[in-house]
Amino acid sequence: MNPADIAQSVLLAASSDVSLFALFLQAGWIVKAVMLGLVVCSVWVWAIAVDKIILYSRTKKAMDRFEQAFWSGQSLEELYRSLSSRPTHSMAALFVAAMREWKRSFEGQTRSFAGLQMRIEKVMDVTIAREIERLERRLLVLATVGSAGPFVGLFGTVWGIMTAFQSIAASKNTSLAVVAPGIAEALFATAIGLIAAIPATIFYNKFTSEVNKQAQRLEGFADEFAAILSRQIDERA
Amino acid sequence: MKAGVAISLAGHAALLIWSVWSFAVKPLEAKSVESVPVDVISEKDFSQITAGQKNAKPAETPPKPLVEKVAEKNKVEDPAPKPTEKKEVVAAQEAPTPPPQPKQDAKPDPKPEKKEPDQIAEALKKEKAKPQPVEKKQPIPVPPKFDPMKIAALLNKQEPKRVAAAGDQVNHNVSLGLSSGTASTLSQSELDALRARLAQLWNPPAGAKNPEQLVVLVRIQLTRDGKLAAPPVVLTSGTNPLFVAARDSAIRAIFRGQPYDMLRQETYETWKDVEVTFDPRQMFGG
Repeated sequence: MNPADIAQSVLLAASSDVSLFALFLQAGWIVKAVMLGLVVCSVWVWAIAVDKIILYSRTKKAMDRFEQAFWSGQSLEELYRSLSSRPTHSMAALFVAAMREWKRSFEGQTRSFAGLQMRIEKVMDVTIAREIERLERRLLVLATVGSAGPFVGLFGTVWGIMTAFQSIAASKNTSLAVVAPGIAEALFATAIGLIAAIPATIFYNKFTSEVNKQAQRLEGFADEFAAILSRQIDERA
Repeated sequence: MKAGVAISLAGHAALLIWSVWSFAVKPLEAKSVESVPVDVISEKDFSQITAGQKNAKPAETPPKPLVEKVAEKNKVEDPAPKPTEKKEVVAAQEAPTPPPQPKQDAKPDPKPEKKEPDQIAEALKKEKAKPQPVEKKQPIPVPPKFDPMKIAALLNKQEPKRVAAAGDQVNHNVSLGLSSGTASTLSQSELDALRARLAQLWNPPAGAKNPEQLVVLVRIQLTRDGKLAAPPVVLTSGTNPLFVAARDSAIRAIFRGQPYDMLRQETYETWKDVEVTFDPRQMFGG
């Protein structure tokens, strides 16, 4: 090849834009779709993460406050009256559900003690399940993005490099200035995939452990409260 | 959830703006490498390489006379015969021979020596009166002398050809890149051919303990047809008992190698008297 041609091609390539937006705009539509999808995933992952962080800290604070109130020696009737007026979550919801069941059994004409214990436990189990479901919601999105993000990005890269090589073969010019933009653009897809996947994986692990901790706390409270109610039932019977 | 989405979107937008601003592409700075000029030269050029002098003036006259110019004259005078004897070109070569360098240095020296038996004062006087020839800085090429005896040689009987062929002699003017003319030296290929033949024939004692003691330097005098003009003279001697064997083998090799037909006739002056080193360590050097 003529040295002058090489120099010219290098000059042309140097003048072409290699900024992030240019990389995105130069890409083929499949790679573009992959990149956009991964960006949306990243946005969604961070939205969920922010949401969950707020939720868990609130839940934890609410549990602490409720436990303090519960063990402060306050009458359970009063506590129930103050809590049942508005919708509650987590431990308070557990308490309200159990108390409602208890009250129903006592306020009716026929006192039905047989099976009351079992009913209360059932109600509390259901409430715990509902609460955990609320805490765990959307965590699967994080897991999916964390595991599939790199693969999606890799797919974009492979596809981009494939088309880049095809166009290199078509242009019959192998100078680095011709090869580089296509490959850089393709690698950009993997970069976005990793950017989306790494926080997703970290947040997923952190949040699952948090959910487990809170679920255990709820179970513990449920058992304790069931024991108290059971003692009450036995005393009244 | 709305708060989460808003915060996430804001964070991503900020990251994107920052990355666009900070990932501005900086072109790699490639250091420009100094280019090395490469010339392809022939074997002959290589063997005639001379050390150049950077401060020498560029040669004013073309170093070699062109044959064709002389030939043009001939066309008018003698068009009929077409002898192709190259020897007749001598006249053309003769033209630019400069006065030999040593003459200048030699001239002023011997004269005062001769006059030493006379009174020193007289000699000094004479020397002062004499114009100093040493003042001449550069050898000026003397214009060709017209020699009536050689007039025949001026006639070039060759067919005019467009060949920029030159004689075997190169002019000795100091020029850019040519400190001393060394044309018609034994070219490397000829010398190598001579060495190769001798190396084939020489059988140095194998496995000798001190091979450096077996180096044999032999002076060879050759005739024009590549045969020995005189018996080879061994210039080294050794105490090693194997040295005698090595020396005898070297002399046998020299005798058996005759005739050395790889040497060109034109360069006879340079190879009529050669010294060859038989070194068992590198077979041959020097």
